[in-house]
Amino acid sequence: MPWVATVARWVLGGVFLAAGALKLPDPDAAVRAVRAYRLLPEPLVAPVAFGLPVLEIAVGLALVAGVFVRTAAVVAAALLVVFLGGVGSAWARGLQIDCGCFGGGGEVAAGETAYPAEVVRDVALLAVALALARWPGSRLALGGRHAEATPSNEEGERVP
Amino acid sequence: MSPETRREAARRRIAEKRAAEERARAQERRRRQTLVGGVAAAVVVVLAVVVVIAVQSARTSTSPDAAVPANTTDGGTAFAVGPADAPVTVDVYEDFLCPACRQFEAAAGATLAELAADGTAQVRYHPIAILDRASTDDYSTRALNAAAAVADAAGTEAFLDFHDALFTEQPAEGGPGLTDARLVELAAGVGAAGPDVEEAITGLVYGDWTREVTDAASRAGVSGTPTVLVDGAPLQDRSAEGLRAAVAEAQEG
Repeated sequence: MPWVATVARWVLGGVFLAAGALKLPDPDAAVRAVRAYRLLPEPLVAPVAFGLPVLEIAVGLALVAGVFVRTAAVVAAALLVVFLGGVGSAWARGLQIDCGCFGGGGEVAAGETAYPAEVVRDVALLAVALALARWPGSRLALGGRHAEATPSNEEGERVP
Repeated sequence: MSPETRREAARRRIAEKRAAEERARAQERRRRQTLVGGVAAAVVVVLAVVVVIAVQSARTSTSPDAAVPANTTDGGTAFAVGPADAPVTVDVYEDFLCPACRQFEAAAGATLAELAADGTAQVRYHPIAILDRASTDDYSTRALNAAAAVADAAGTEAFLDFHDALFTEQPAEGGPGLTDARLVELAAGVGAAGPDVEEAITGLVYGDWTREVTDAASRAGVSGTPTVLVDGAPLQDRSAEGLRAAVAEAQEG
């Protein structure tokens, strides 16, 4: 199981790192992508468009490195729930937008939306995040045992 | 029980108690380390968010006295063809790199010109730049900047000719766009020649303006190109017949 958790950390962390990093080079596009959801009031659009990638990168780094794994997994799960809500509501309202999950976003030609695939991907990642939040112990984690000590794997209880 | 074994048992109890205390202290130390580390990490993340928001805001801000091309309408964001008092207004949002826009122009461009010429509709072209990612040299922005330079120097008729020429010579997505030299040539071909136009094209003089009009379109709810609005209502059937039908309906309504 620890190795499974390691792979889960890398996959989830890698996705978050990429998603965050790809949103940074073109801030104008990031603003348009967030605005295209038509969910946030205008004053919040830019801060969310600029701040969200930082959060994604922070979560990604923590997961890849293996520090604060449980906290990072919980934040990742919370973000994914928000993303699912956004994509689901855009789908339900019939908006023709790209989710902008990995940069770009906003603009998409009619009939080129990919909502089902986006929802499936986010649900799969959410399952991984929740599993990691439940069982954060893994190999090759920088944080080691104490960073994410749980009653069952605390060093103290194993001392003879 | 002999005094000897009793003493041993007492000693063992004391040792166990000490070990337990030591474990508790170590646990407390770890807990404190984790807490300090967690607070430090949270502070770093918050700081990073603040810094990045500030940096990205600076990157997206446009100069308040950015050059706006002449011969525009709708707050400097559009180029209008046809009488301002025409019964119907058609707004066309296009990106010069967007293949669907070229298809729309091929299918309905002539119809738009006719509607404007016979006074049925005023056609307002809102060229925007949303596909810079789809070329290797920010072609959407460069093409839009060049179109602004042409409109500024030679008027909306020249803009329209240049606009048509750009769609005729539209490069494929994913590669380089037309070179600045080619844009200058095409501009000269529609009557916008001279060092000023050349400087405006190669120097990206209307660069800030391209971002302002793109942002304005986004704020107006345009999330894709082409977006065609007939009296504000999105045109679904973007064929020549679809356009005529929608304009006729708007005219009656």
